[in-house]
Amino acid sequence: MPHVADTVEVALVVNGEPVRRRVPPLATLMDFLRDELELTGTKYGCGEGECGACSVLLDGKVVNSCLVLALECEGSKVLTVEGLNTGDELHPIQKAFVDHGAIQCGFCTPGMIMATYALLQANPSPTEHEIRRALEGNLCRCTGYRKIIDAVLSVARGGAAHG
Amino acid sequence: MGESAVQPDVRSPSPTQVPTLIGQRIPKLDAPEKATGLARYVEDMKLPRMLYGKILFAGRPHARIQNIDTAAAKALPGVRAVITAADIKLVPFGFGRDNTALKKDKVTCVRDEVAAVAADTPQIAAEAIKRIRVTYQDLPVVASVADALADGAPVINPNVPDNTPFRYDYSHGDLERGIGQSDVIVEETYTLQRVAHCCLGTSGIIADFDATGRLTLYSLTQVPFLYKNDLARVVGLPPENIRVIQPPIGGGFGSKLDIHPFEPICVFLAQKTSRPVRLVFSRQEEFLAMPTRQPMVIRLKSGATKDGTFTFRDVHMTLDNGGHTSWGATTPWISMRTFSSLYRVPHVRQHVDVVYSNNIYACAFRGYGNPQATFALESQVDQLATELGMDPLELRIKNAQEPGETTGQGMILGTCGLRECLETAARNAGWQQKRSALSGQPSAPNRQSSTVNRQSSVVHGIGMASLFHVGGGAKIYRSDGCGTILKVDDFGGVTVLTGSSEIGQGSETAIAQIVAQELGLPIKNIRVINNDTDLTPWDVGVHASRTVFMAGNSALRAAGEAKRKIINAAAVRLKRKPAELVLSEGNVLDRATGQRLESIGKIIRGLHFGARNELVMTTDFYEPPSTAPDDKHMGNISPCYAFGTHVAEVEVDLDLGVIKVLRITAAHDVGRVINRLGIEGQVEGGIAQGIGYCLTEELKTEAGRILNPSFTDYKLCTTTDLPELNLSFVETHDPAGPHGAKGIGEAPLIPVAPAIANAVYNATGIRFTELPLTPERVFTKLKEARANQEPSRARKEADKNDAPTRTQVPSRARKEADRDAPGTQQGGAATHG
Amino acid sequence: MTASKAYSAPQTLQDATRLAADGGATLLAGGTDILPRWSRGLLERPEAVVDLKRIADLRGVTRANGEIRLGACTTLSDLASDPIIRDAALVLAQAAERVACPQVRNRATIGGNLCNASPAADTAIPLILLDAVLDLATAGANGVAQREVPITDFFRGPGATVLTPGEILTCIRFRPLPERAFAAWDKFGTRPAMEIAVASVGVALKVESGAVTHARVAYGSVAPIPLRGRQAEAALLGKPLSAETITRCEAAARDEIAPITDVRASETFRRDVVAVMLRRMLQRAACS
Repeated sequence: MPHVADTVEVALVVNGEPVRRRVPPLATLMDFLRDELELTGTKYGCGEGECGACSVLLDGKVVNSCLVLALECEGSKVLTVEGLNTGDELHPIQKAFVDHGAIQCGFCTPGMIMATYALLQANPSPTEHEIRRALEGNLCRCTGYRKIIDAVLSVARGGAAHG
Repeated sequence: MGESAVQPDVRSPSPTQVPTLIGQRIPKLDAPEKATGLARYVEDMKLPRMLYGKILFAGRPHARIQNIDTAAAKALPGVRAVITAADIKLVPFGFGRDNTALKKDKVTCVRDEVAAVAADTPQIAAEAIKRIRVTYQDLPVVASVADALADGAPVINPNVPDNTPFRYDYSHGDLERGIGQSDVIVEETYTLQRVAHCCLGTSGIIADFDATGRLTLYSLTQVPFLYKNDLARVVGLPPENIRVIQPPIGGGFGSKLDIHPFEPICVFLAQKTSRPVRLVFSRQEEFLAMPTRQPMVIRLKSGATKDGTFTFRDVHMTLDNGGHTSWGATTPWISMRTFSSLYRVPHVRQHVDVVYSNNIYACAFRGYGNPQATFALESQVDQLATELGMDPLELRIKNAQEPGETTGQGMILGTCGLRECLETAARNAGWQQKRSALSGQPSAPNRQSSTVNRQSSVVHGIGMASLFHVGGGAKIYRSDGCGTILKVDDFGGVTVLTGSSEIGQGSETAIAQIVAQELGLPIKNIRVINNDTDLTPWDVGVHASRTVFMAGNSALRAAGEAKRKIINAAAVRLKRKPAELVLSEGNVLDRATGQRLESIGKIIRGLHFGARNELVMTTDFYEPPSTAPDDKHMGNISPCYAFGTHVAEVEVDLDLGVIKVLRITAAHDVGRVINRLGIEGQVEGGIAQGIGYCLTEELKTEAGRILNPSFTDYKLCTTTDLPELNLSFVETHDPAGPHGAKGIGEAPLIPVAPAIANAVYNATGIRFTELPLTPERVFTKLKEARANQEPSRARKEADKNDAPTRTQVPSRARKEADRDAPGTQQGGAATHG
Repeated sequence: MTASKAYSAPQTLQDATRLAADGGATLLAGGTDILPRWSRGLLERPEAVVDLKRIADLRGVTRANGEIRLGACTTLSDLASDPIIRDAALVLAQAAERVACPQVRNRATIGGNLCNASPAADTAIPLILLDAVLDLATAGANGVAQREVPITDFFRGPGATVLTPGEILTCIRFRPLPERAFAAWDKFGTRPAMEIAVASVGVALKVESGAVTHARVAYGSVAPIPLRGRQAEAALLGKPLSAETITRCEAAARDEIAPITDVRASETFRRDVVAVMLRRMLQRAACS
């Protein structure tokens, strides 16, 4: 455990819950979520903002959590994939991914879903082109993207994809 | 083994009242936990008192290790162990038995492991690694096969003084006769690059010893049982003392078919510290240390008679084996089968040299030598078509095998949908119409053209390629089988313990479908356990597109026996004949009328608690009716074979060399579709990997070092690269497969690159023989071709009666019908970005 | 949050300049260039980070007296969708929205893009076309000392600017292009998304009475710095936008750029790409 003297306190809201912890100053939001809060849904894919596997929403905008320091999030609201579904019900985006076969190994899935969530918040009825652009920062090696795009299209056409 | 291995059961279609799951779109069983972020991969797992391992890699391609000073690392607070080769027993492993967990005397490639630490946190482990001081004596770098074969070249492996650890030779027929029969002959050399698997989840492992010295590994392996045995030898434990648990993995694609040094290293760290140790690669380490697809240089010469009958193929392959040997050195065994057996060809000779160097090395990767071979072969088949003045489709159909043929290499093509795939893909792509339309433009190949000047710099082309691959495993090990243990509980819940592994490809869902269908139970009743060697019976592993075939057959037979038990018990209880009963949707029905007679659960409880006191538990081990290759590489190594054809349509910007894939039309002979959702996913994913292989991916090396070890400069396809897709599945109902199914896992990647390259030829008149077709490579070749051509000479159409011709068709600038200003990218900017 | 030397987030520019003046402090805006360097070990992790993002004055786009003021900490996604920018400097919005991907654009700032000083900096090219001026601030005797630097004087080399230690880029100012001017920007790479440019080109020009009266040309990734194309401009000014002029302009561009060969592309290809992109833009300008 890092010494208290080497850490700085940060207070933020994660998935609707207030959180107050001490962190090393240069700990990334990704490390904070995964190691400190044990929310391991957010994945390490590259640590450099090149793959999108660590995507979360920060104050409503999708970001690579590996490129954000935890301390930069003081007073902010963070939403991770674990914050999407309530109780037994999958969020409509999650359900669409499942039903459309958009998940194979699943490693890119949380990041894809968060980028999708952010897109549909801003643009509830995106065209396929807009979907591709919104997900251009999320790499997938398994699916070839077709079913991911189909899943997002299905939620978009169905309306009410968020909230 | 019990039942005959030669005639696996195939269920005839159920009575019409029983709805079938086979061929349906069934969501993947583990998708919900992955969609919610609850699936725990190795990097998400923490055990109590767990330490974090990290490796010091050599970072230089060839050097003698003179001294390793670990004192400063050991002194760092929080460091619990520091090991070097001196601290462990070095047991060589790998196909060439030339790799050890840690390197002792010298390093022979940049990714060689020199030391490792285990520490309280990943940060402390990283700091400790920085504090290890190694003194090297650099040695001359063998940066290429040419370097390795030169006079006086440094010897990489002292046991292999000529730097050539493997040579393979194969032939069937009589090459000289084939050459003599040929009216056209072409010869070309193809260069296939290193590409990385780029699994989104990086490699990692947890090693955990219990109080009795029994080792549990949380491993990403695709071959748990072979892995257990091989690793046992390397770490000095009896294999029965090792348990392999397989958490979900972030991609496999063949990268996890071998033992990688980081795995025994983690075991040694756990041994030394008596604590669990987790060792996970960073992305940079993943690029550096994980072996790639096998790069190859393929010189291919082939011929045909003037009516288009293939006569011979003469193949010489040279493989850069890198500094140590992994499965890459065996990929020619599969490449061979493409050259010998994709299309009918009576005379074939192949020679392969596998040569050491100080480059990084290669392991298995989806297709296992076939993508490389098919690029060469299908590019050359296209070239033969040009020389013959034949439609590339007609030439392929002419030489396509029919069901029941045996190839020159002894492979028995029971079902063979090659012709149907060719015709289906061509029809769905509009092959004839599009080729005519394109040939109506001036300056296309095989058209009569003259002009150089173009009004537009964008041209279009269409091309095709087929694939031939194993469809039910490849018997390269003593057994190619898979075991199943199945139980049905008192309420109709089914547990299927299968030796096969799930690597994201959806095998567990297909197995559940097959079992649910057989037992007439809803799929939600089926639990598949496939990830613990203490529980599951043996399977050779996930490779060679075998899993749904083998595990499906085994599960089908185990479920069949359970079904017989249930039906017999029901017959007794209901006083009916077994043949009158059928299982469907959790109930026993009258087969003729569909009337519900009793619930399955009640029958099972009756068996359990009634006079018989029996549970419904069955087992099966399925060994396929294939044969291992003999010492001449001959043999029917798979019970069935996969075929397919892809048609690619491209747009090429001649001024910038940019290739855009507009559409891929694919037709695959899969025997029978089990899970429509899953099989489409395999094809779509394989196509994306194929596009990357063709256009953008290359792990670049120079003097043994890797130049682009990150996603910034190693270019994977993104959502914006995905073309239109048109998929068809040809069902040839192979009697060997479960419900007639054949394997599909690798096939979709295999023909993509040659289909695209052939389309680029159609568009530009230029043959590319080296991948990837980056804009710079395409641009440079287009520029050369423009400089070489004479401006106003009409192109003479290839005379079919000419003596064998050399192939390089002069490139031609394309003139299109008048168009507007060159195509613009959305966003207002003028050109491709 | 407890105050800490290791990480501070001042709320005023004055506080920021004072913290930045402490040698060894690293300024943090979007973090999208600097965090990967820490994680790859290319840059030592700093002892002190000064986060500029809580300074309200450093964010946002305003327009006053015909001049557009762009706060250095404005994110690229905000920049790309800002109505003032889309109206008055569309090429800048186009460049901003082609950087990397949405996740990066939501954090990366225009100030960071410029101060990182990559020769490939996507936003620098349109700003050169716009004759942008950069406002720099340091701790001064009486508060904050300011100076302004034209963008063409801001870059010194790859990764190097004229910023003195502790100096902060606060604002980027420019006037819109002349009315009815033609402007275009594009970058070239191996694939459409997630690309660091192999080469990029920007052109802004105005034709009046058959002759070019205003011309700006700029290039990215083909010189040690984002480069203004003065020779290309000279080939255009006063001339009609004819095929001959375009050819001469292309030749001038080839001559004045200094591309290198690296893992992404060769020097000759970069030169050829710039020529093609420039030619196509000029042809489009001629048609419009």
